[in-house]
Amino acid sequence: MSGYIISIAVFVGIWVSLALSLNILVGYAGQVSLGHAAFFGIGAYTSAVLTVRYEQSFWVGILAAILVTGIVGAFLGLPSLRVRHDFLVLATMGINFVVVAIFKYVDFFGGAMGLVNLPAPALLGLSFRGGPAYLTLVWIYAGLTLLVSWYLSQTWAGLALNTVRIDEEAAEAVGVSVPRFKIYAFVISAALAGGAGSLYAHFIGSVFPDTFAFVESIAILSMVIVGGVGTLRGPIFGAVLLKSAPEFLRFAQDYRFTLYGALLVLMMLFQPMGLLGKESWLWNLARRRFRRAPSSALAPEEVS
Amino acid sequence: MTALQVEHVSKSFGGLQALDDVSLQTEGEILGLIGPNGAGKTTLFNIISGFLSPTRGRVTYNGHSLQRRRPHQIVRLGIARTFQIVKPFSDLTVLENVLSGVGMPVYPRPQALVRRYRTPVSLKQAREVLAQTGLEAWADTLAANLPIGLQRRLEIARALATAPSFLLLDEPAAGLTAQEAEELAALIRSLHEQDIDMIVIEHNMAFAMNLCERIVVLAQGRIIADGPPAVIQQDERVINAYLGQEESDADHQ
Amino acid sequence: MPIAQNLSNALVLASTYILMAVGLTMVYGVLKILHIAHAAVYTIGAFIGLLMFGWIGNFWLALVAAMLASGVVGVLIYRATYFYMLDAPRIVPLIASIGLFVMLTDLLQKDFLMGPYQKAFPAGGAGMPRIRTEYFSITPKQMLVLVVAIVLITILYLVQTRTRLGLSWQAAAMDRDMAAAVGVNLNQVVALNFFIGSALAGAGGVLVGVYNNSVFATMGDLVSYKAFIIIVLGGMGSVPGVIVASVVLAIIENFLVASVGYVLPRDAIAFLVLILMLMFRPHGLLGRE
Repeated sequence: MSGYIISIAVFVGIWVSLALSLNILVGYAGQVSLGHAAFFGIGAYTSAVLTVRYEQSFWVGILAAILVTGIVGAFLGLPSLRVRHDFLVLATMGINFVVVAIFKYVDFFGGAMGLVNLPAPALLGLSFRGGPAYLTLVWIYAGLTLLVSWYLSQTWAGLALNTVRIDEEAAEAVGVSVPRFKIYAFVISAALAGGAGSLYAHFIGSVFPDTFAFVESIAILSMVIVGGVGTLRGPIFGAVLLKSAPEFLRFAQDYRFTLYGALLVLMMLFQPMGLLGKESWLWNLARRRFRRAPSSALAPEEVS
Repeated sequence: MTALQVEHVSKSFGGLQALDDVSLQTEGEILGLIGPNGAGKTTLFNIISGFLSPTRGRVTYNGHSLQRRRPHQIVRLGIARTFQIVKPFSDLTVLENVLSGVGMPVYPRPQALVRRYRTPVSLKQAREVLAQTGLEAWADTLAANLPIGLQRRLEIARALATAPSFLLLDEPAAGLTAQEAEELAALIRSLHEQDIDMIVIEHNMAFAMNLCERIVVLAQGRIIADGPPAVIQQDERVINAYLGQEESDADHQ
Repeated sequence: MPIAQNLSNALVLASTYILMAVGLTMVYGVLKILHIAHAAVYTIGAFIGLLMFGWIGNFWLALVAAMLASGVVGVLIYRATYFYMLDAPRIVPLIASIGLFVMLTDLLQKDFLMGPYQKAFPAGGAGMPRIRTEYFSITPKQMLVLVVAIVLITILYLVQTRTRLGLSWQAAAMDRDMAAAVGVNLNQVVALNFFIGSALAGAGGVLVGVYNNSVFATMGDLVSYKAFIIIVLGGMGSVPGVIVASVVLAIIENFLVASVGYVLPRDAIAFLVLILMLMFRPHGLLGRE
């Protein structure tokens, strides 16, 4: 594989993790956030500061990134306890803006020049710099994110988040502590995005504030929504599609944000649940195709 | 024997006095709560179940003060409620709706993050509730696809799944056919036989009179009558309260 | 700087906020949509104003053309997107709005439209007089902003309070279904709503472009963020609330932010204010639950 293809695959893997992590917040808990790039950035900066300023290893960096971003997520999730729906979107947008401003204006974080010369991960003296080794690491992390997302959907917390998303009052009436589970969702979602941030930072070798600006939050949200919010397949598909398309299509490169924006509008108009979401025409079509052969065995399930 | 005590509860919204010094106590009975529109019935439910806090007064249950308790904590004390406008978890199945009631009061803590919700024990409990409420056949149907009559029953099933000792039912018979209402009454009686006490808000007079051992009438935020159905039916103030409402209803049309 | 001077500067700033925020609050009032793409309408207004000014050389004609064009863009946005989402959960039009905003801003930055750089808008004060007293002075440009804003807001006020259209608006803002039931043509009312709100935003864009002698593709971003602060401060959906809140915010910025601005950029502070407002005073400074 050429270095170019590998680096695309690395980026896709990182954005799959980001989309899946945002999906926990938006798809599971129903808390639409336009500030996910802030968590991505907090992870990247945590790892960068620890490795560059305190000469820790990458492994310390990524673990700290997950931990710190999770903790920050608990605090930045607080507005969701009081602010709902569209105003939460405004608040998260604001959080993203403030976090980037802090990176930019606080010298400790390197200011507008960012932090550079991040070390590559190494294990038993072997460096992971570039190449298939780093790719493997990134996709192991994406797999881990997928596993966490899936397992969460199987737990009582997953069921609780579903109830919070559908109707907060009814959720409380069956005994769900709505604030507690919203914060859980913010913590898990943020922590996973933080790890992705660390992987990104050490792959690029530097961090700059503008990478984590509000528009990146929109890009991540587009991936979740285009793919299919609330599902596991959706965000993965959305991230692969939207992250790789600009690499292969010249048009998509030049008009990246026009594309993201237009896709958001079109999805809201025609398929709000996403291309591969619940009951989307594409997903139904695919299901019908693959189920036709052994239809007799599956018929009862399809009826219900 | 469980006891719910409402002591001198008042609630005002801005300038509007929704409840005015309401006191009542229930002990081992099906209590009917009736009254014209806007009398404050649902407000009282919202206060008991923790969705609203009273402006004055307090509510206790089995000696626990409900003050400053959030709705989910009140569920854990054994008081479950339904909503007048049903609130099913629409894109979950009927079984999952009931499972939420089974598990949420039990797993409020971080262990909810690691325990899976479909276990033999939880499924068994949920299926028992479905059997009791006659919803077994619909277990895998999405709640949104249930007809309204069954959504009302699901509302009760979900409350029942939290293993309550006290139920607050907000107009459970609204929109039901005569036969469905009959079945519902039978269900409510059978629940009462299992030592679940309740307050039932009801608009359908015949239904309430038939079902309840005792009836409390609210009008304009005050209790204007309290007694067995036979006495309530004769009470002049109750008749006036309802007549007044019919007149004003007629005005609106 | 003397207080009177600060105050007159604040009023100029407030005028531009009002023109931007009035449209947002009108849309929110009737449709309960946070119309984020409004920022792009503001920029488009400035852009078209600049084009027309370069073409005909008359500021007033350029202003009118920009307002008409912005109004049309606003109506098109409504008819192409929100119109189909009125019964959807509120988050659906909001996400569409964000998509529109990102798309339009990105497109505007392309070379065939505004390009990525600032452009000058050398209309000067459009013939406005300079006022100079012992305590403060108002430049012709400031005069221009103040006069246009006051005239437009007065017209809006008269339309809202004295015409059938204004009454229909108020009815629709209170209860859409009810208004439809009593014979208000909702589609028309909402479309006009978008037209007027967008035209005002376009005028705001032109005025700010002239005032700063600079027009660029992302000029709407910060103003729109602030406009959201303003409509929350002003109690969502209330035009008088917006006017009061705009003045309050402009005064705060002029008098206070200068003294704490070294900790964080003033816009980050504005955002912190927004988050705290949303959490603790969601019904506005004057509003109550």
